[in-house]
Amino acid sequence: MQHGALRFLGGVPVMSSKSKRKLTEFLFLLPTLIAFLMVIIIPFIFGIYYSFTDWQGTGAASKMVGFENYVAAFQDVGFLHSFLKTLLFTVLNIVTVNVVAFIISLLVTSEIRGRNIYRAGFFVPNLIGGIVLGLVWQFIFSNILPTIGQSLGLSTLSKSLLTNKDTVMFTMVTVNTWQYAGYIMLIYVAAIQGISKSVMEAAEVDGARYWTRIMKIQIPLMANAFTISLFLTLTNSFKMYDVNVALTNGGPVSMFMNKPVQGSELLALNIYQTAFKYNNMALGQAKAVIFFIVLTIFSIIQVSYNKSKEVEA
Amino acid sequence: MKKLVAIILTLALMLMSVSALADIVICQNKVEITTQMEAFAKLYEEKTGVPVKVITGGGSSDYNTVLKAEMQSGREPDIWVIEGPSGYELWKDKIADQTGADWVQYTAAAYMDGDKVVGFPVAVEGYGMAYNKDILDKAGIDPASLTTYDAYAAAFEKLDSMKAELGLDMVVSMVAGTVQNMTWVTGLHNFNVYLTVGNQRNDTTYIDQVLAGQVDEERFHQYCQYVALIFKYSDPDMLLNGTQDSQLAAFANGKAAFYHQGNWMDPSLVALNPSFEIAYAPHAFLHEETDGILVNPPSWYVVNENGNKDEALAYLNFLATSEEGANYMVNEAAMVPAFTNVTLSPSTPLSKSVMDWNAAGKTYDWQQYKLPDGFGMGTLGPIYELLASGAVDVDTFEVMMKEAIAGIAK
Repeated sequence: MQHGALRFLGGVPVMSSKSKRKLTEFLFLLPTLIAFLMVIIIPFIFGIYYSFTDWQGTGAASKMVGFENYVAAFQDVGFLHSFLKTLLFTVLNIVTVNVVAFIISLLVTSEIRGRNIYRAGFFVPNLIGGIVLGLVWQFIFSNILPTIGQSLGLSTLSKSLLTNKDTVMFTMVTVNTWQYAGYIMLIYVAAIQGISKSVMEAAEVDGARYWTRIMKIQIPLMANAFTISLFLTLTNSFKMYDVNVALTNGGPVSMFMNKPVQGSELLALNIYQTAFKYNNMALGQAKAVIFFIVLTIFSIIQVSYNKSKEVEA
Repeated sequence: MKKLVAIILTLALMLMSVSALADIVICQNKVEITTQMEAFAKLYEEKTGVPVKVITGGGSSDYNTVLKAEMQSGREPDIWVIEGPSGYELWKDKIADQTGADWVQYTAAAYMDGDKVVGFPVAVEGYGMAYNKDILDKAGIDPASLTTYDAYAAAFEKLDSMKAELGLDMVVSMVAGTVQNMTWVTGLHNFNVYLTVGNQRNDTTYIDQVLAGQVDEERFHQYCQYVALIFKYSDPDMLLNGTQDSQLAAFANGKAAFYHQGNWMDPSLVALNPSFEIAYAPHAFLHEETDGILVNPPSWYVVNENGNKDEALAYLNFLATSEEGANYMVNEAAMVPAFTNVTLSPSTPLSKSVMDWNAAGKTYDWQQYKLPDGFGMGTLGPIYELLASGAVDVDTFEVMMKEAIAGIAK
């Protein structure tokens, strides 16, 4: 008997058991791999290619234009504005989503009655699609709140918060927090439940107060949950599209660098509008590549920072 | 071997039945008439045996995205809708020549490429300043006199001073906000007032200037004053936060004397049962008299050169020249047909007014669709909103509009 990759018995190739296992593994992987290639990798490579052309989204021939689209993207005031607004939204959103999620996760892991109902209740908004949610909240902000505001004589509430450029970001953060905090809560709940009871009891016996126990024991021990949650909220906020389009449609208009810009248009919506409203596919694609690079850099920084904070109990 | 033959036969049969499922595939953009159109398609199938399938994109889904997806699906539609030159240029290579089709003799609104007839007018649509005749009568304003800026300024002022006794919340029901996605009303339809009012149809002087980044100073100044006049007598909250529905409701419930929308709102308007007479007055923004509303086919059906061309042409002919087609266009879909052979008259007020102005020959062209994609709604629209919200005054508005137009040539 010979050991090797292949040997021949009566003309039939037979593989050694090791490479046979490799082949089996590969075959099991194949369906996912094909799907991944078809819907992620190939479009991604095409996308990068198109960003260097003047492609129009049809079969028509396109020619290479080098970095022209990238230059145009950075000269686009609306794009720069969307960039800043996205950063602002991301910071606000990460803070509110995680703070709210952490607080409600403390609530639903405490001894409070009916905590399972609370868990379900907080999670349910996450099951509603962003477009539906956006439209529901648009109705609340542009019809219900003004009516309440007028009857109570509150001047800030009597106009729709969506048409005021100073308050529109808060409406988006509110809606996204309402939608997303329940999901992040689940991660925190799992992490809190994963902390061994004995550690908490020991701290209690040693006289640590509730606040001290949270700050000095729970939070450090849940650091890996924070890594995941911050990563999820970072990418989710950065890629925010559905709530943006349904709730504010990018409006209201404000001024930026002496040009009128869409006051709440985040990057994803800006890219969509460039590609489909202005029918400028190649420029939209270039913006999307920039978007990808920036998001990747931020995510790597965030994850490596958070990783360094993780401790073992 | 037998098995293989059987498989091949089954496959061939399946392929045949797939293609027999729909001999004509239409991709269209009017969500509001999808049901009526499908019913007409069914009627056509019963009559001729040729199945017709209607694919609709539009409303919340973007028609052009849907069309592009259909084109790339491998089963290209046989008939689809173009909304103007950008659509025509995009699909030019696939669009069939319809010169000599029966319907051509009955219309002046076909889409032409030089001498070639390439587009079948879906309907004509029109807009102007719709008015509530009861309120104007009570205020002693003759709608026929509204043919200059000064007449409008005087009428608006008078109505504004009589708001309480007429039960009005606002003089004009107008929307301009991006939040509710209404910038097409300002950036496209209202802007077209500048482009064509007072001109012969097909006169492209002002659109050509705009496309070269220029405006006619005096005319443009006057136009900006007109926009400011409309906004001044509109409700500020409606301007920024109004939807198509709330804008219509204010007018239909008698809370506004004028309404800046087109006859496509008729189905919704009739549903609200307005108790007064309604018709269109012109968008007369100049000091000189201009008398006419803005009427045009909003879109055209084009035929796929490589598809089931003959069937598609026959379908369009049937639509334009048969009684069933006329009934569908006028009574079912509540459109104003672009064809002179159609004698049915629409029963709804705005469409009827469009038909009357059209019959009187007092119409101006639509040329806003010659603007580059996204320019009207995405670039000009926001500037209108700034004026509407009071963030800029009319002079700054004029400067910003000119700057935006100057940027078009780049």
